[in-house]
Amino acid sequence: MSESEGRTPAPEEIISTPGVDMLMPATPAETMLVGAVQVSERRQARRENWRLIRRRPAFIVGVFIVLVWAVCAILGDRITPHSPLDFRSIPHLSPRAKFPFGTDEQGRDVLSRVMAGSRDVIKVAPVAALLGVLFGVIVGMVMGYIGGWVDQVLSRIVEAFLALPVLLVALLALTTLGSSTWVVIGVVAALFTPIVARTVRSAVLAERDLDYVTSARLRGESSLFVMFKEILPNVSGPIIVELTVRVGYAVFTVATLAFLGAGPQAPSPDWGLQVSDGYNSISAGIWWTTFFPAVAIASLVIAVNLIADSVQSVLEGS
Amino acid sequence: MGRYLLRRLVSALVTLWLLATIVFLVVSVLPGDVGRKVLGPFALKEDVARFNHQLGTDRPLLRQYVTSMRRLFTLDFGHSYQSGELVNKIIFPALFRSGKLALLAFVITIPISLAAGIFTARRQDKVSDRVVVTTGLAASSIPEFVTAAVLMSIFCVHWKLGHVYADPPDGTSVAGQIPYLLLPALAMVVAYFGYIARMTRAGVIHGLQSDYARTATMKGLSKGEVMRKHILRNALAPTITVISVQIGYLFGGIIGVEKVFNYHGLGSTMLNAVTARDIPVLQGAVLLVGIIYMISTLMADLLIAFMNPRVRLERAK
Repeated sequence: MSESEGRTPAPEEIISTPGVDMLMPATPAETMLVGAVQVSERRQARRENWRLIRRRPAFIVGVFIVLVWAVCAILGDRITPHSPLDFRSIPHLSPRAKFPFGTDEQGRDVLSRVMAGSRDVIKVAPVAALLGVLFGVIVGMVMGYIGGWVDQVLSRIVEAFLALPVLLVALLALTTLGSSTWVVIGVVAALFTPIVARTVRSAVLAERDLDYVTSARLRGESSLFVMFKEILPNVSGPIIVELTVRVGYAVFTVATLAFLGAGPQAPSPDWGLQVSDGYNSISAGIWWTTFFPAVAIASLVIAVNLIADSVQSVLEGS
Repeated sequence: MGRYLLRRLVSALVTLWLLATIVFLVVSVLPGDVGRKVLGPFALKEDVARFNHQLGTDRPLLRQYVTSMRRLFTLDFGHSYQSGELVNKIIFPALFRSGKLALLAFVITIPISLAAGIFTARRQDKVSDRVVVTTGLAASSIPEFVTAAVLMSIFCVHWKLGHVYADPPDGTSVAGQIPYLLLPALAMVVAYFGYIARMTRAGVIHGLQSDYARTATMKGLSKGEVMRKHILRNALAPTITVISVQIGYLFGGIIGVEKVFNYHGLGSTMLNAVTARDIPVLQGAVLLVGIIYMISTLMADLLIAFMNPRVRLERAK
């Protein structure tokens, strides 16, 4: 029964994970008979999980907030009350009926800029998290399955990475490589890889000595087949959890990098950049240019984490 | 125990060496001309070349690597590219300032989050538990600079409390410095509270359901005694580990907080060094953070072993 543990991702899979889906096996032909029953059971279990997740209030709130920002990101200046870049009024107007969030030092409408400022984070964070998880799965799989000195060496490197101030390395790389979108994605993904690898490694270690792995090996399957067709489907739970958690961290990291200057540059309405432009005016009593973009970042990060937490509680049963 | 300690020390040293190597690789493999960066875009080509020669950045990579590793083991990081000052004279005072901030943050965080963890564990799945846990989760997921900016907007502008610049004037007494540091420390409390409280809660819940807690209760101990003498000893182990790891992470988060509050600690020193490609300062600062991380995780493991004889015996074997 063991090798039929392979799960086929159903269309109603919790989150679309192209990177992981690609690697997941179709129903293994050699286990068709037993497999047919098992797969339908699995599908049922997955449907049940998905139903449990959907019913969590935290999940609903999280999805709602993310959707609001996603709509803002997609439609951009088509729905903002004023142009986020070109519109000019009197600088530093405090919030009032005409400008609910006030205006910034150049007289631009802060509300419009906050609405348009979600675009960069919404685009960059999920891609970075996905790539980081993809690489992390590959490295972690190798560490856990192959073991031996390979694992020893990689484990040490992972530990060194964990002692490293992640933001700083990202910043260092971005100040030299320039902070175009793809470089930010690559750097964040590279920094997430060791962390994901550690999680995947420990999940693989728990599977490695189970009967279905041994029998696949005795059958003469290659290491690659055993790793990605046999073990991977069985550790997909922790990987999905890790992915949702990483999206949250990616939003966190990308926003912080933008705040520290390694991200979109002026006149972009990016949230981190707006906070960075505005915080020095707080001492003069001008709080709205910092406060609203900061709250926007907070709302998105919290929303993603509410989703991640719901997925985690259902899949890990805590 | 002695052998265990020795093994931990050796592995910490190996990790530190790897850490320094990663920093070296990132710094020297990535393109970028140090001389050009320091002297500016209008400096003469010959001047830039001479400057690079003086610093040794034009030497073969392997030789640069050996030099930089020698610096690591002698804890002498040379001079800053930017100001020419001794690196140690820059990073240790900065570490001291960041340390003050971090200490204040932890002095506030630890009791609050332990209390919250125990409180919510006792009311598992009741409304108060849900509220505290969700708030903690939400708060700890927000980037520190965001919390800092929001706190500053609210406290400094609306309530006219606290200071926008966290650097206290020279010669301020220890007690006098606290009002300056309170707001940035609070931003860090918000960030770290949730995670520590969650760990404590999970540990205490596990303990409350255990056989030893039931035995202790049936033996006639009061609720408080069961909690103090039996449950907390076991439940705090994962919490202590989390706290020690957070001390390492703290120096990443502190960068944003220090920037918002214009505080001249290790975070802003690192930020400056990165943007100016002041490699000796950067290497020194990052290694310092690495050393702190190693020491704090090692101390945590020792503390856990001290609190729990079972762990102690297991490791002695």
